[in-house]
Amino acid sequence: MIVVTQLSKTYGGLLGRRVKALDGVSLEIRRGETVGLIGPNGAGKTTLLSCLLGFLRPDAGSVRIGGLPPDDLAVRARTGYMPERLGFDRDLTGGAFLEQHWRLAGGASAEGPREAAAAAARVELEAAALGRKLAKYSRGMLQRIGLAQALLRDPELLFLDEPASGTDPNGIALVRNRLLEAKARGATIVLNSHQLPEVERVCDRVVFLSAGRVTAERTLRGEASAPRRAMLRVPPGRAEAACAALAAAGFAAAPEGDGGVRLDVSGEDEIARAVRAVVLADVPVLEARASMDLEEMFRPGGSA
Amino acid sequence: MIEMVRRFLRQRFGSAAIVTALGVLALMTGAQAAANPEGALGPGILALALVAAGSVSRDVSGGAIQIILARPIRRASYLFGRYVGILIAYGGFLLVASGFGIALRTLLPRLFGAAGADPDLPAFARGIAAGLANALLFAAILLFFSTFLRGYADVLALFVLFGALSALPTVAAQLRKADLARFAERFRENVLPEVDWSAVLRGQRVLGEATGRWAVAVVGFLALAVFVFSRREFTYGQD
Repeated sequence: MIVVTQLSKTYGGLLGRRVKALDGVSLEIRRGETVGLIGPNGAGKTTLLSCLLGFLRPDAGSVRIGGLPPDDLAVRARTGYMPERLGFDRDLTGGAFLEQHWRLAGGASAEGPREAAAAAARVELEAAALGRKLAKYSRGMLQRIGLAQALLRDPELLFLDEPASGTDPNGIALVRNRLLEAKARGATIVLNSHQLPEVERVCDRVVFLSAGRVTAERTLRGEASAPRRAMLRVPPGRAEAACAALAAAGFAAAPEGDGGVRLDVSGEDEIARAVRAVVLADVPVLEARASMDLEEMFRPGGSA
Repeated sequence: MIEMVRRFLRQRFGSAAIVTALGVLALMTGAQAAANPEGALGPGILALALVAAGSVSRDVSGGAIQIILARPIRRASYLFGRYVGILIAYGGFLLVASGFGIALRTLLPRLFGAAGADPDLPAFARGIAAGLANALLFAAILLFFSTFLRGYADVLALFVLFGALSALPTVAAQLRKADLARFAERFRENVLPEVDWSAVLRGQRVLGEATGRWAVAVVGFLALAVFVFSRREFTYGQD
């Protein structure tokens, strides 16, 4: 679906300092896949997203979306985009803004008001908010209306740059749910976010960028998914018994203070098997969770 | 493109400050037009500058351009939408100023017991047409500057261009550089051609040299604007 080949981009030059934002990035994103771009600040994530959207022209390499250049109108007609910086027309009301984007996306004018109201409802914006100017919106409301415009006409391709930035926990959950819905209908999603737990919950794969290069990739879902780290919590003093039960069931487990047991599992199904093994050994399981520990990728010498 | 025109008009007339300033300018222009409809309405460049200032650059600096261009809109359509929007807004301004002018010309004397003057609607119509014809070129120049300059620097650049092209032939003549003076004069005539719209609108010299140069300049500046804008990159960070 999206094929990025040896993409390089340098900013500055002439009298300014030259900054190599992307340095030979190659990437393939399959149709229906949700890919998270993660990495430290200045890694080149937004530059990559800007190249994927055709806002920036690479110095070298290419981007093809369904075989077409990213600024082809046929690609744009299938694209939804939410920028990190919400530079909307602040003099417009929320309703007028959504209607405008509905029409820009190719929707019929007559359907605009109805679709704007439906889009606002999807992001849980009150109907009254649609009558207010965007200048009066809070940061969280702008994020919501930004997401609403990106989701107009159910785009096949979604490019989202920090979609939950500055939102409260309800807003974060809302963004997650809308992304999971888009994913369920088969949309291809590229998500640039620093919110690693959300990236882990939504994405099929993460691509780690550092200094303009792809330094690691991890598959989070599907047959090729990477091993996960699971954590079980059992009553204090029963961790050793839990570890023994897990060892008997073929898991490599180690106790971690205060009733914690850490083990590696190959997938989500394995966690259920581990919990069952511990419970059958008469050790109550108080909590079980699995994590890819994406933070590890940020640490020097981590898997990045 | 229609959506882009609509968006431009909403942006401009959504600002109370711009509407107020245009209203004051319309009153001033109307007062002058009451005495000389063709002469006063033609050169209303201040109002045009107010309408067109930052037409592209404000979208770029505000970050709105990205979500617009992520839609199935050609960059040229966006640009022409702005251009047509400027002309419609300026046309509206000319109509309002003419309205004031006609009212002042016909009604004001009656308030003082005198007979109102003939409204001379054809003269007002020619004034509006001349103003729009001038606006076609000035708006194209402003649009071109706005595709690569920041903020409202497009207006400043237009005035600098005016000043430089007007001064250059004189300076060259003062320096006794006859060739340079001729070149500067020719350059000014081609970049900022002066057309006697009053005569043209009366059917004289419609296909004259001046109107030809004017048409080439309009098309040239628009083509330059499209070329620069289509090659421009948009980003809001290097993260």
